[in-house]
Amino acid sequence: MYGWIWRHLPGNAWVKALISLVLVLAVVYILFQYVFPWAEPLLPFNDVTVDNQ
Amino acid sequence: MRVIVRTVSELCVTVGTLIVLFVVYVLFWTGVRADRVMGDQIDRLQQRWSRGSVQPEPVATPRTYEPGAPFAIMYIPRLGSTWNKPVLEGTGTGTLKKGLGHYARTARLGREGNFAVAGHRRTYGDPFKDFPELRPGDAVVLTDGTTWFTYRIDKGPYKTVPTDVEVIDPVPRKSGYTRPGRYLTLTTCDPEWGHSHRLIVWAHLDSTQPVEAGEPRALRR
Repeated sequence: MYGWIWRHLPGNAWVKALISLVLVLAVVYILFQYVFPWAEPLLPFNDVTVDNQ
Repeated sequence: MRVIVRTVSELCVTVGTLIVLFVVYVLFWTGVRADRVMGDQIDRLQQRWSRGSVQPEPVATPRTYEPGAPFAIMYIPRLGSTWNKPVLEGTGTGTLKKGLGHYARTARLGREGNFAVAGHRRTYGDPFKDFPELRPGDAVVLTDGTTWFTYRIDKGPYKTVPTDVEVIDPVPRKSGYTRPGRYLTLTTCDPEWGHSHRLIVWAHLDSTQPVEAGEPRALRR
């Protein structure tokens, strides 16, 4: 999977490394900004009230 | 064959990384974010108050707070001398990310009835992490910009189940209070990372003083 991505990135090894880094950062950003905030309320840490509002 | 093994192991590594990142998010990042947001809410309140737009309201008005907006700051010396959190109207998930939440259908601050507030035990800045440390006699101080309200804890932490809605009644039966009064209830979850139970403390309004008179005795060190 990662080998396939690496082979399909353009440029020499340095350019590929740079693009990979940008891709990794983008994925982490999307996770922290959108995916985790959506997933976190599904866990029980938010239930602090007595009437389940 | 080799391709399959490699792909499966890559997937496992990816899932592991995802889990680690999620734990970092829950344990650390929600706190970073919440501290910033709660600081903003307190700044907003203090700005509004310093502009002098808050008037002591006439006693009889049954006004309600604006949903989702901060209206008071809470101080609990037992939880730390720097512990202060904004109190917002409502107990929705989004509201509780920004501070403590006031149960909308309970009494207003300092009024006859039960002023009930919920807060996170863990995540989002861990506001009520040390909730079990609270003891009868501890002060819970609130200000709405015009008045300091000092409540004294009478009972708790009391452990109950999430469906026990009568703990935020105007006169909560299990609190030991027998007649109507000016009470305060704090609720959070128990165990720390779970949701099977709730922890409750009850307090009564001990004293009030105008903000011009300076901080109440409970906050002075």
